[in-house]
Amino acid sequence: MKQIIATTKSLCPVCLKKINAIIWSKNKETYMEKSCPEHGRFKALLWRGSMPMEKWVRNKIPATIEKPNTQVDKGCPYDCGLCADHRQHTCTALIEVTQRCNLSCSFCFADANGSSVPDLTIDTIASMYTSVMETSGNCNIQLSGGEPTLRDDLPQIIELGHQIGFSFIQINTNGIRLGEDEAFVKRLKAAGLNSVFLQFDGTNDGIFEKLRGKPLLATKIKALENCRKYNIGVVLVPTLVSEVNDDDLGNIINFGLDWVPTVKGVHIQPASYFGRIPNLPVEEKRLTLGDIMDRIEDQTAGRIRKKSFSPPGCENARCSFHGNYILKENNELISVNNPANCCGNEQAEEGANKTKAHVSRKWRSNELTTEKNCNISHENTEKDEWDEILERINRYSFSLSAMAFQDVWNLDLNRVKDCCIHVVNPKGQLIPFCMYNLTDKNGHSLYRKQ
Amino acid sequence: MKHESNDQTKWLCDKCQRELELAKVKVRYMEGNFEVDLMKCPTCNQVFIDEALALGKMKEVEEGLEDK
Repeated sequence: MKQIIATTKSLCPVCLKKINAIIWSKNKETYMEKSCPEHGRFKALLWRGSMPMEKWVRNKIPATIEKPNTQVDKGCPYDCGLCADHRQHTCTALIEVTQRCNLSCSFCFADANGSSVPDLTIDTIASMYTSVMETSGNCNIQLSGGEPTLRDDLPQIIELGHQIGFSFIQINTNGIRLGEDEAFVKRLKAAGLNSVFLQFDGTNDGIFEKLRGKPLLATKIKALENCRKYNIGVVLVPTLVSEVNDDDLGNIINFGLDWVPTVKGVHIQPASYFGRIPNLPVEEKRLTLGDIMDRIEDQTAGRIRKKSFSPPGCENARCSFHGNYILKENNELISVNNPANCCGNEQAEEGANKTKAHVSRKWRSNELTTEKNCNISHENTEKDEWDEILERINRYSFSLSAMAFQDVWNLDLNRVKDCCIHVVNPKGQLIPFCMYNLTDKNGHSLYRKQ
Repeated sequence: MKHESNDQTKWLCDKCQRELELAKVKVRYMEGNFEVDLMKCPTCNQVFIDEALALGKMKEVEEGLEDK
């Protein structure tokens, strides 16, 4: 029997008009159904797996946007900027510093290519940083693209961000230049790069050839070696596609664990259907958060259990899951998640603050720890078991997370309002990530390229 | 517990009137088990954690394990 869980608002995949939607479950699967008076009915898979979607909750008291950049006019999602109706602060602000790319991937949310779109000038980037600081304060910054490392002045862009007051700056990269140009990695480190979000789809070249058009595993490993050499924290980021790499999840996680402490975690992004996509979605082949939790437990032979995952305290519960672990000396992996959703409603603002601090602490390299360890080794008598535990926590923490981006087919505007990952446009406005990248059935954008 | 303030700070277990001794104690935080030296009553096994440790390294460990 179908059980209706919720009603919400979504968009028509053809005309992008706002339409009503219902969400219903049956046999551990949850679907969205919606109907456009002009373009008919649409059905999309939202969730599947042993953990029911209706139990994946973490209620939050909405935050208030103190300094909205845009007026509420047509209503969500047409007024992004952020508007006063938005319910969460910025945790991570993305700046696409170039639209150029040295790959031509079958899936690319940014639809980047050998684009003739000129790179953002340093002055424009400075005004974007400043606008983010005014609206959202010292949030985490991700420099993205295109491929940001194609810019020779990327170190200068990182320095500029730190000067304006951002304490955590990460690049989102395919790692090709990091692998091939060690001197560039050294410059990035000297500029204060805190973390690398490394596209890493699998542990064999067949996967890279399918998704990225060429074998890249050796290059990725070289990039990791260079990051290790210059003490830059790395998060491995697989784009997960059914029947391409969803059976390699366990291998990717084990690979990441082998690279601790350089690798700080694995962040999984199941493919969404926006930007450049090879085909329209076949709903049965969608990978949902529930699917991924089950696969992780299966493919790690129970080393990582799904009960160790929690819903997020920052974004909407249905956008992600995460688990925190410590790798012990004997290679045992222990879960250190606090029990989630035990305490009724939480403040969304507090969740955003905790997430910003947590990401910054867990995904960066451990200079402080290293320095402290040096001091300790000089004064050997002062080192005790607590110092060893602290070293373990600081250097051998490992995070495992997944974020399911929304596309026009499965879009729930309630989730959009809770979004904390915001793309900065050249006007300095902040657009929720999924809205910035959303495209209709024919590839037209709601926000990108406006 | 009572505190005898002299240079060689000693602690007595108020219940057992035994002097606390440094001993290996298993500390459990969430799923993590750690073994550390702490002052412990040899009779009732009650453990004493002084303020400096509670607000220092122990707090640092707790913060390091905090979730978002």
